[in-house]
Amino acid sequence: GRRCSSLQHKSALSACVTDQNQVKSHESWSLSPEEFEAWDRLYRIKESDGIKEPVLPRVQFETLENLEETPFALQRPEEGKVLELSLSEWSLWQNQPLPTSLVEHSDRCHLFIRAMQMMELMKHQQGDCSYEQELQPHLHMEDVNVPGHKRHLSTSNPP
Amino acid sequence: MAAAGEERQMLAQRLKAAVHYTVGCLCEEVAEDKDVQFSKQSIAAISDITFRQCEIFAKDLEMFARHAKRTTVTTEDVKLLARRSNSLLKYITQKSEELASSNMEQKEKKKKKSSTAKGERTPGEQEAAVTENEDSNMA
Repeated sequence: GRRCSSLQHKSALSACVTDQNQVKSHESWSLSPEEFEAWDRLYRIKESDGIKEPVLPRVQFETLENLEETPFALQRPEEGKVLELSLSEWSLWQNQPLPTSLVEHSDRCHLFIRAMQMMELMKHQQGDCSYEQELQPHLHMEDVNVPGHKRHLSTSNPP
Repeated sequence: MAAAGEERQMLAQRLKAAVHYTVGCLCEEVAEDKDVQFSKQSIAAISDITFRQCEIFAKDLEMFARHAKRTTVTTEDVKLLARRSNSLLKYITQKSEELASSNMEQKEKKKKKSSTAKGERTPGEQEAAVTENEDSNMA
């Protein structure tokens, strides 16, 4: 079934390839020998390039038992061989929406930007906190779990 | 209109204050546990992020329920919030099972002595139990 449908819906890539042999090899999910050659020559990171392989940071929970999250197990990168992509290195740039192309910023992205703005504003405050002072008069003690607040964390600790 | 907007604003402030207080308590425990200190500003930032994260959770939960043609948010929807992390999903699933079984026990007790409704926590738990049942009916 899979083969037939891919024959009917030729991808844009295979459509512009005229050589019959090349079209055939495009029908599989993997790269054709020609594509592989191009990838190997232009994009593949090799030892001789002198740059480190980029990897995404792993998810780690401080307060939970951590399970293996990545099915392919990112092969425990050797120390120094990889560049872990940082999501915090350029935090000073993140208190404003950055340009978009086709995808607009999401609500949670705006949440993040607002939080970065707020932290920027409070960065130079010492001691007393404006956020706290603004909210203090609005606190109703019946809204909060006063005597037993110890329970919260003890239940969120892993067994 | 202006009055309604103002009231909304007041409610939001009240809710933020409650979140801020609770975040403060939780941070206090972490501080004790890890032997570190949180600045007031860091607690304020965590608190504001928590408050806004609730908006995101609420919208997602509503959409997940609607996706399953329900108007009541159930524990299944809550589990979907945690779908991206195996660790978190496992944790939430365990909690949900614990809650479901304790709800069952509560129900059993109630059946035995149906006359006395006790404790202020019971109504909430009852509700959760009802949604649980709805869910298993759906399946």
